[in-house]
Amino acid sequence: MSDHDHEVMPPTPGARVATFLKRKDVSQTFMLWIFFTAVFVVLGLWAYPKWMPLVLSKQMQANEDIMIWFTVISAPIAGVVLSIATKSFLNMHRGDTPPEDGIAIRTNGPVVIVWTATSVLFCIVAIVWGLVALNTESIAAATDAPKSLIVDVTGSQWAWSFYYPAQNIHTHTMNIPVDQPVTFNIVSDDVNHSFWPVQLGVKVDANRLVTTVAHADPSATGPLDIKCAELCGLYHAYMETSGAVQTPADFASWVSSIQATGGVEQ
Amino acid sequence: MTTLSHAPASSRPIPNPEKSLITKLHMGTGMVVGIIFCWGTYFAMKAGRDMTDTHNVNKVLLMSMFAWSVGFLVGIGAFIGPFRWLIGKDLTAEEQLFLAGDGQGIKRYFRYCTDHKVVGIQYLVGVMAMLGVGGTMAMMIRTNLATPGSHFVSPNVYNSLVGLHGITMIVAMIIVATGPFGNYIMPIMIGAADMAFPRLNALSWWVLFTAIPVLCSAWFLGGIPTGWTAYAPLSDQAGPGMNAFLATIIIFAVSTAVAGANITTTVVAMRAKGMKWNRVPIFVIGATISVALAIPAFPTFMVAMIQTAMDRTIATGFYDANVGGSGWLYANLFWIMGHPEVYVILIPGVAALMEIAPVFVRKPLFSYNAAIAGFAGIAGLSILVWAHHMYMSGWMPSLNGPFMVTTEFISVPTGLLFLVLVGTMWRGKPWMKLPMLSVYAFIWDFLIGGITGIYLSDVPADNYLHGSMYVTAHFHYTLMGAALTGAIGGLAYWFPKMTGRMLNERGGYISFWFVQIGFNVLFLGMFIAGSEGQPRRVADYAHLFAHANLISTMGAYSVGIGMLTLLWAIVHSWRSGKIAPMNPWGAKTLEWTVPYPVPLVNFDTPPVVTSDPYGYGRSAK
Repeated sequence: MSDHDHEVMPPTPGARVATFLKRKDVSQTFMLWIFFTAVFVVLGLWAYPKWMPLVLSKQMQANEDIMIWFTVISAPIAGVVLSIATKSFLNMHRGDTPPEDGIAIRTNGPVVIVWTATSVLFCIVAIVWGLVALNTESIAAATDAPKSLIVDVTGSQWAWSFYYPAQNIHTHTMNIPVDQPVTFNIVSDDVNHSFWPVQLGVKVDANRLVTTVAHADPSATGPLDIKCAELCGLYHAYMETSGAVQTPADFASWVSSIQATGGVEQ
Repeated sequence: MTTLSHAPASSRPIPNPEKSLITKLHMGTGMVVGIIFCWGTYFAMKAGRDMTDTHNVNKVLLMSMFAWSVGFLVGIGAFIGPFRWLIGKDLTAEEQLFLAGDGQGIKRYFRYCTDHKVVGIQYLVGVMAMLGVGGTMAMMIRTNLATPGSHFVSPNVYNSLVGLHGITMIVAMIIVATGPFGNYIMPIMIGAADMAFPRLNALSWWVLFTAIPVLCSAWFLGGIPTGWTAYAPLSDQAGPGMNAFLATIIIFAVSTAVAGANITTTVVAMRAKGMKWNRVPIFVIGATISVALAIPAFPTFMVAMIQTAMDRTIATGFYDANVGGSGWLYANLFWIMGHPEVYVILIPGVAALMEIAPVFVRKPLFSYNAAIAGFAGIAGLSILVWAHHMYMSGWMPSLNGPFMVTTEFISVPTGLLFLVLVGTMWRGKPWMKLPMLSVYAFIWDFLIGGITGIYLSDVPADNYLHGSMYVTAHFHYTLMGAALTGAIGGLAYWFPKMTGRMLNERGGYISFWFVQIGFNVLFLGMFIAGSEGQPRRVADYAHLFAHANLISTMGAYSVGIGMLTLLWAIVHSWRSGKIAPMNPWGAKTLEWTVPYPVPLVNFDTPPVVTSDPYGYGRSAK
């Protein structure tokens, strides 16, 4: 190993911190940190709600919350990385010969420990948040099952079809009532598809001869886009249909109109 | 430690090596024999078979493709050494010297050459060709997606473009750093005269080479409709082009196994005197961890493909639910490879940038041990996270929680990589040359890739994002924004040692800004489209996504212009660039102590290492 001298530091930790904070490069880096952190916070709070579609279910709300708040929580960490990198970039040396050697800092134990601990903390927050959301969803799916509207979903190249067993109707669009849990039983006639009612924030693969289950709690009325999120062959891009989360009265009316035509949507 | 030292004393010398068969063989003879094997197998197997049966078609095509590969290797002389061993002999010293390419000029690049520097250049040119083909397909994809309702290509061609772009780029990215730099630079970095197994080194390249025409043949066999993931049962349903994909992966897995064994053995066994583990350059550590991770990962990919091939040829039904199989078996095998593969790609690129940063900041690498812990932590965790790609598959929902935990924890060792780089930059005055610019680009790109990866690893958020354009943007930020940026930085850094010339700076800078600005426009647009709800791998989309897609396409064209500029800069510099001094960057690793052209055995005198290569810096005032 090369033998480098270490930086001469004040004798006490307090004096070291005070000296550190008075340095111009530190204050400039700090200002950059505030800037980048603010950018990421604004990005999280503004961009995702703007970009993401209508929230029509509790699941979709949970998804959007994660997108927003994970961005906000990660902002200070991203800010540290970007502020130091930017400060370093602005301090660049140009020319055809290398600059003088910088200060030989081989490592800094406390910095490594604090950085690692911060990463672990962030990670634990993300994990706990995710597990709580997952658990909430699992409990809701179980407790809601008896009162759920059942929709049997079948994917086939390249269309979705739906069967409502309690209503005994076959449809190619999918309407559901607001404020009533829905259980989707999903299967494929051929290759893998992925059932994605976008505004419900729910997605599960449709597999051949195996039924998978998804659960949603529609919380607002509005139009639904139903897409396939798994490449399924030639016309994968066109494997989509529409639907809506409706008021119970509108849903009942829609069901009645189909039952009146023999239980098959025209 | 020289190439010649492998020659056993008992070999029967051939008086005139010019008359040896080995001197007559080259890429041309390989192609002739390969084609003969291929067509011979095709016609022999076709005879008497009912070719209206797709199983028979698949059998004939697959075996013809493997026959091409074996025939090419026979024709180029790959098996002469092993054949001699079978009869109790070996190559003579003169033949080994010939194989090492001694005095053959440019011809050695077209022969079964064992010199690691030649293999490194072969990989570099091969990677550039693959990036060119894969990039062209990307431009076609983005052109088709520029506006909704575009019919630039048909859905069938579009799906094939998506799949072939994917597999071409994945293969290119796997070898983009370890191929050229792991072969050319790494042995010199550790003070070795060559790789541990020079003939296996040549074999790894030429085996990979044989996969290229096989993959290209997919176009002429109807394309592949499955994307590079090749999920079953879609792959069972696919036409004859699918055989080309399967054969390519199987051949590629052989190449990576050979290369992985060679690189790990070389680093473990052939380091210079005094090069203790804590003195090994960080690029070597990264490349070694990467290939060590690949060694167990790619065989599962191979098994997945062999089983697909068996389903398609002899109707075994591994993945066919109609006869008791399961597509989830395929998905598991694929992703057991697929997620470690991400880090196989990423780690060498990051390690190259860690090699670059201290040189240009003129400071020691900050916390060398943290860098190793980061790489090792990522590699260790990466084999425990594969099913996060299957959260929405319906397979074992009860395991989603555990896989979410392991996946989220990857952010901890990943964070160490950032710490090492920004720690090295801290209080530094970086020499702003092209390699150093790549370090900055990496930090931004990988930060975006990393943060968005945290959302995707969280099951509830993945409920929405899985299978969307958001995922496509995320992994391009990690694979292209991080790994390819690292490799381009590595190329700019080691170009003088590999070619004897400096990379054209102006061309490099123009390329850099076109690529980086275009890249961010391209994939930030894709993040928006994904957030809005656009599925990935779609040939067409709703008007809702039009703006985001147009932005993405404009970004893609900027990347294309940038990459073409880089290609021009490389070709121009290689042909007539400024002659490079022996150590243009003032770096301290061993490769900068040898002249260009690098001698056949690298060092006239075996080097002795007395310190680590990061001894930059002065004490604080």
